[in-house]
Amino acid sequence: MTAHQDLRKVSTCEEVEHVADRAFCVHARNLAELLENAAHAMVALDGRPPATERFIRRVIDVDGRDRETLLVNWLNEILYLEQTQQEFYDHFLLSQVTDSHLHAQLYGRQLDHSVTSLKAVTFHNLNVKESQEGFEATIVIDV
Amino acid sequence: MLSQPKFVRLDQFVWEIPQSYRDDMRVPARLYADEGLLNTALSDNSLVQLVNTSTLPGITQYAIAMPDIHQGYGFPIGGVVATRLPHGVISPGGVGYDINCGVRLLVAQTSVEEINPYVKEVASAIYANCPSGVGARGSLHLTNADLDEVLHQGASWMLGQGYARREDVDHTEEFGRIPGADAKYVSEHAHERGRAQLGTLGAGNHFIEVDKIAEVYDNAIAARLHIYRDNIAVQIHCGSRGLGHQICEDYVSRFQKSAHDYGISLPDRELVCVPFDSEEGQQYFSAMACAANFAFANRQLLAHLIRQSFAQILAGRVKDFDLLQVYDIAHNMAKVEEHEIDGNRLRLCVHRKGATRAFGPGSAVLPKGLRDIGQPVLIPGSMGTASYVLTGTTAAMQQTFGSTCHGAGRLMSRVKARKLVRGSDLRQHLKDRGIIVRAGSMSGLAEEAPSAYKDVSRVVDVVHNAGIAKKIARLEPIAVIKG
Repeated sequence: MTAHQDLRKVSTCEEVEHVADRAFCVHARNLAELLENAAHAMVALDGRPPATERFIRRVIDVDGRDRETLLVNWLNEILYLEQTQQEFYDHFLLSQVTDSHLHAQLYGRQLDHSVTSLKAVTFHNLNVKESQEGFEATIVIDV
Repeated sequence: MLSQPKFVRLDQFVWEIPQSYRDDMRVPARLYADEGLLNTALSDNSLVQLVNTSTLPGITQYAIAMPDIHQGYGFPIGGVVATRLPHGVISPGGVGYDINCGVRLLVAQTSVEEINPYVKEVASAIYANCPSGVGARGSLHLTNADLDEVLHQGASWMLGQGYARREDVDHTEEFGRIPGADAKYVSEHAHERGRAQLGTLGAGNHFIEVDKIAEVYDNAIAARLHIYRDNIAVQIHCGSRGLGHQICEDYVSRFQKSAHDYGISLPDRELVCVPFDSEEGQQYFSAMACAANFAFANRQLLAHLIRQSFAQILAGRVKDFDLLQVYDIAHNMAKVEEHEIDGNRLRLCVHRKGATRAFGPGSAVLPKGLRDIGQPVLIPGSMGTASYVLTGTTAAMQQTFGSTCHGAGRLMSRVKARKLVRGSDLRQHLKDRGIIVRAGSMSGLAEEAPSAYKDVSRVVDVVHNAGIAKKIARLEPIAVIKG
């Protein structure tokens, strides 16, 4: 078990009610874990894709001027790839994470068509909160 | 959330939150509603979001909310904000991710009775010919040069390809093309998302609906629009697809820094904005115009595919099934318009997010054939409920920057709707009422259940009685096609 998987065991995320769109709250022990958990929470909104054995891996770098922008840009890049490459990701390996940059490997499967129902990740009331307990953010997604 | 005592009642249907309510408000905020709809608006954060928009630099007169207001992200859905040019701001969040989401209405000169035996086949043909779902791909394969032409020319590009008629383009808001579009301000990501999506419906609340014209309130104006009781109509509700989503993402992200550089302080980061006349503001406007033009072209191609579907099923069986375009409107857009404020003609950037332009009779920007009756306004209801055709009014020009509502307005969260409604049950319920449903996703269907929305008739009655639009006709669904 990797360090990331171990940390994820104690982190949580839950969907939050939003009148028109979708929202979820993510908790984590550190920023890298928050980014990883947010990605898991977002792709979970779409449920499980059709089974396929065509496994794929992508490597990406994402920048942002602060933690919130990095978080939004990261999630939007995943949506962009899912829609344009017709892929679904279920494992995220992050490294070189700072407040303004991340390097990530995305693992998942090639599909026959895009399955995401999500349009875009927003900045609405977004604040990556850091406390003694760890990190927390509530993310609203346009659908 | 706000409480009712904060409101001043200005008129039977107009409520105001005074500028003194919060220190950072630059103008008052106004809501068009009856008492019931006001209470509904108070049940979520939409009115806080409305107050937030009143803090935008350069905002003129008041921040406005329509009776279909509901909570969005940043701006409320159902909001209108006008900023004074050249220095007032433009906000990508004030347009939203689905740039130029809008509605097109087509009508046939044939009755429901004549088409009824074939409606199931028509619905299936439309579902097969019009790809749906967020990532759906269309049949049109565009080169990079073609795509840029679409972004610059909008619905007009479809004329040259044989997918449009001159009268379609004439009966489209802004004649299907927003001036100032420049594809060099559209990212490669946005190009990539849009390239395969022309002529696709999308998901969420987007739909194609075959309707019966159930009631006509003004026969003379309705006849001018080829609208006659008991005839067939078709609505198309969709927007700029992934291309528009990406453009909004790109600029909201980029403006996180730009707004800070201009010293603009805001209560919500989704409201980020820059002066309209700044380099960044002009670049966003050029990119937004590209997305708007893509959306006009998208609805045009869908209209062509629907006409083909009608011909495929009805040719030789039914006479007069040809579909004429009544109008095409946008309800997520920022536009440069001139309005009279306190006796002065001012250039404004009018943001309509979940609000419809409703220019009244005499407006010079309308096509000659519609100038004396005002702009047609298309208000789709929730799935399985009525939709309305209205026209713009002089009162809308005077009170709301020529704007009115855009739909029923959401009442219940998607999470709650999925818990309370089963998509398969809803489909059966609609079937029992004689409404055919073709949908890709049962959970998506449940999220759009009629009970998740306000009563569209009540919303439309408010704008009609307040005078900011005039009821012309009511449509009732007979077939719904969804992603």
